[in-house]
Amino acid sequence: MSTISTTSVAREPAQVLPPETRLDLYEMMVLSRTWEEAIQREYHADKGPGFDIGKGLIPGEMHLSAGQEPVAAGVCAHLTTDDAITATHRPHHFAIAHGMDLRALTAEIFGREGGLGHGRGGHMHLFDPKTHFSCSGIIAEGYPPALGMAFAFRSQGKDAIAVAVTGEGAANQGAFHESLNLAALWKLPVVFIVEDNDWGISVPRVSSTAIPNNADRAVAYGIPGERVEDNDVEGVFAAAGRAVERARKGEGPSLIEVHTLRMLGHFEGDAQGYRPELPEVPDRDPIPRYEQQLLTDGVLDAAGVEHMRASIRERVEDAIAFAKSSPTPEPAAAGSYVFA
Amino acid sequence: MTLTEAPVTAGQTGSHRLSTAKAMVEAIDLEMERDPSVFYLGEDVGKYGGIFSSTLGLLDKYGPSRIIDTPISETGFIGLAIGAATEGMRPIAELMFADFMGVCLDQIYNHMAKIHFESGGNVKVPMVLTTAVGGGYGDAAQHSQCLWGTFAHLPGMKVVVPSNPFDAKGLMTAAIRDDNPVVYMFHKGVMGLPWMAKNPRSIADVPIEAYEVPIGEARVANEGDDVTVVTLSLSVHHALDVAEKLAGEGIGVEVIDLRSLVPLDREAILRSVGKTGHLVVVDEDYLSFGLSGEVAATITDHDPSMLRAPVARVANPGIPVPYARSLEYAVLPRPDRIEAAVRKVLGA
Amino acid sequence: MTDVVFPTLAKERPEAEGVVSTWFVDDGATVAAGQLLAEVMVDKAAVEVSAPAAGVVHLLVAEEDTVTQGAVIARIT
Repeated sequence: MSTISTTSVAREPAQVLPPETRLDLYEMMVLSRTWEEAIQREYHADKGPGFDIGKGLIPGEMHLSAGQEPVAAGVCAHLTTDDAITATHRPHHFAIAHGMDLRALTAEIFGREGGLGHGRGGHMHLFDPKTHFSCSGIIAEGYPPALGMAFAFRSQGKDAIAVAVTGEGAANQGAFHESLNLAALWKLPVVFIVEDNDWGISVPRVSSTAIPNNADRAVAYGIPGERVEDNDVEGVFAAAGRAVERARKGEGPSLIEVHTLRMLGHFEGDAQGYRPELPEVPDRDPIPRYEQQLLTDGVLDAAGVEHMRASIRERVEDAIAFAKSSPTPEPAAAGSYVFA
Repeated sequence: MTLTEAPVTAGQTGSHRLSTAKAMVEAIDLEMERDPSVFYLGEDVGKYGGIFSSTLGLLDKYGPSRIIDTPISETGFIGLAIGAATEGMRPIAELMFADFMGVCLDQIYNHMAKIHFESGGNVKVPMVLTTAVGGGYGDAAQHSQCLWGTFAHLPGMKVVVPSNPFDAKGLMTAAIRDDNPVVYMFHKGVMGLPWMAKNPRSIADVPIEAYEVPIGEARVANEGDDVTVVTLSLSVHHALDVAEKLAGEGIGVEVIDLRSLVPLDREAILRSVGKTGHLVVVDEDYLSFGLSGEVAATITDHDPSMLRAPVARVANPGIPVPYARSLEYAVLPRPDRIEAAVRKVLGA
Repeated sequence: MTDVVFPTLAKERPEAEGVVSTWFVDDGATVAAGQLLAEVMVDKAAVEVSAPAAGVVHLLVAEEDTVTQGAVIARIT
């Protein structure tokens, strides 16, 4: 279910999506979750005793997107790899949903030569020219470059658009507001996505944001804003479809805020003592909920689920194995790529 | 290109006299003519022609789709330039005053400068960031800084600082053609603007055709055997004035115009100090933790015994640029301080 | 012989004075028609002056001298 906060077109009743579309949405969410569970497993495997963040095959911060898969699946269903995405420090679900090669992605997470950035970037700095995907560890700063990609596509006469993703905490950062104004002013083919997962690390939305709904901020920039509730993948699909179409038709940017769910901590190792609802969080997992819906609707059956999951597990473990066998970068080459 | 003269096009030869500002514009014009992916955006760069005449006349020729006035949103439009550069365009983004870097530094140093590295060389950012620097005309602490030391300190971006019309045009051409992000810092006092006091060296002959000045190469602006003055930007003009004066006393001052900070032409510094044994660094930026220390370290890292006297550094001592002229001119590295430093290192 | 005239920038004040901020040619130089000769200023408005004809230019005022709008600042022979 979604609420449109500006006076835009009358809402059609929620449409029943074709079964293939629903299966694709489900499969994309399962792929993302399965991959991340494997990464989580690998990440924690060698951090002990206790938890030493710098230890192991995947050192550093790890921001997992479990629970937020519906946003990525619903948006990316309308994109091709010619379209650009700029994402955040929590990028994996969008990277996967947008079609990034799993092996190159995984090897980059492991900091290996076979990774997207030859191990130079790591999990918050994934750059994939093949899918026009990039992400940044600085809150809200992925929004402005998305404008430039959209500007370039338009200048080059391409149909491609740019999707800029950030969180609800970022909607209070200057870059967010500058980007909305400039994209609206120049009518750039951009779709702005805000993933409202309730928490800016440990600070709840009510303590950071003066208004309850960031979609209401869209009117300040003269663009349509929609909020999708309940982490509903089909609601995201519908809203994103509208926004993407607007952008492709040259009608300018839109803002979509999705109320989603961060199932894990801000980063791996976050005990989340600040989060009172933690015990109920697993019950709100969007994937079993959607799976149940598809089973009930006869779009999926138990055998189909098992078959799909087995195939996904195979792909994921292949990517992990590839990463682990990829060479670690040579220290003498640390300075490579500073300049072209 | 100038407003009244027949527009310069590729193929013309000969030279003409231009101000530094007009030479910079001519370089941009020739590249925009040659390469449709080049465009210029920033505040007041359209009809106004740039606050310091960096784009004067270009809007009339290229129109508002390529010479673009932006809102006051540095993070927004510099980020836009970055994104466009990653998708194959060659933007020139103007940060009106380098002093404004505070409001957009993240896009500059965490994105523009790092994307090529983080992507393992798979994504290029072929853009130019132009910005006006420098004081001496009473614009006070927030509008008079140089800050090239800060930009040069942060990895991943080239930094060029032309002092005269010839280098302004050649370095701009090189910067636009470079596949890396290049920060092009032009001192307002060398632009030859009609509304600001100017040194005669701000007006000079410039070839009509397009040419590059290599990035990373310093220039010997004046040859001399007794003392090396390493400097850049407006201070080159002051150093040359001092060199002229001291030549009359038989003192040979070699002036090295750095022209680029990243890459820094350390060989040129070493060659000159190897010859003279005496080093004065003149830097309008802040004294401590910056360029002048880097130049001194270039010598001491290599062979401190090259020096026959301690290095003298003439810079802003670390004082926010004062408004009152008497105070401003006390903190700037003016000719009197340069001359005193030369005499001191020579024991003269 | 052609006069090069200081342009009228402040139309409401024809008697207003300005300066030649920059000469881009030397006295006695050969110039082409349309070539940039000078940048002049009245109050805060600056404008370029180009050669109305080809020939040898003779400069009649120095940089920063006060000049009335409409005055002859150079001659081309």
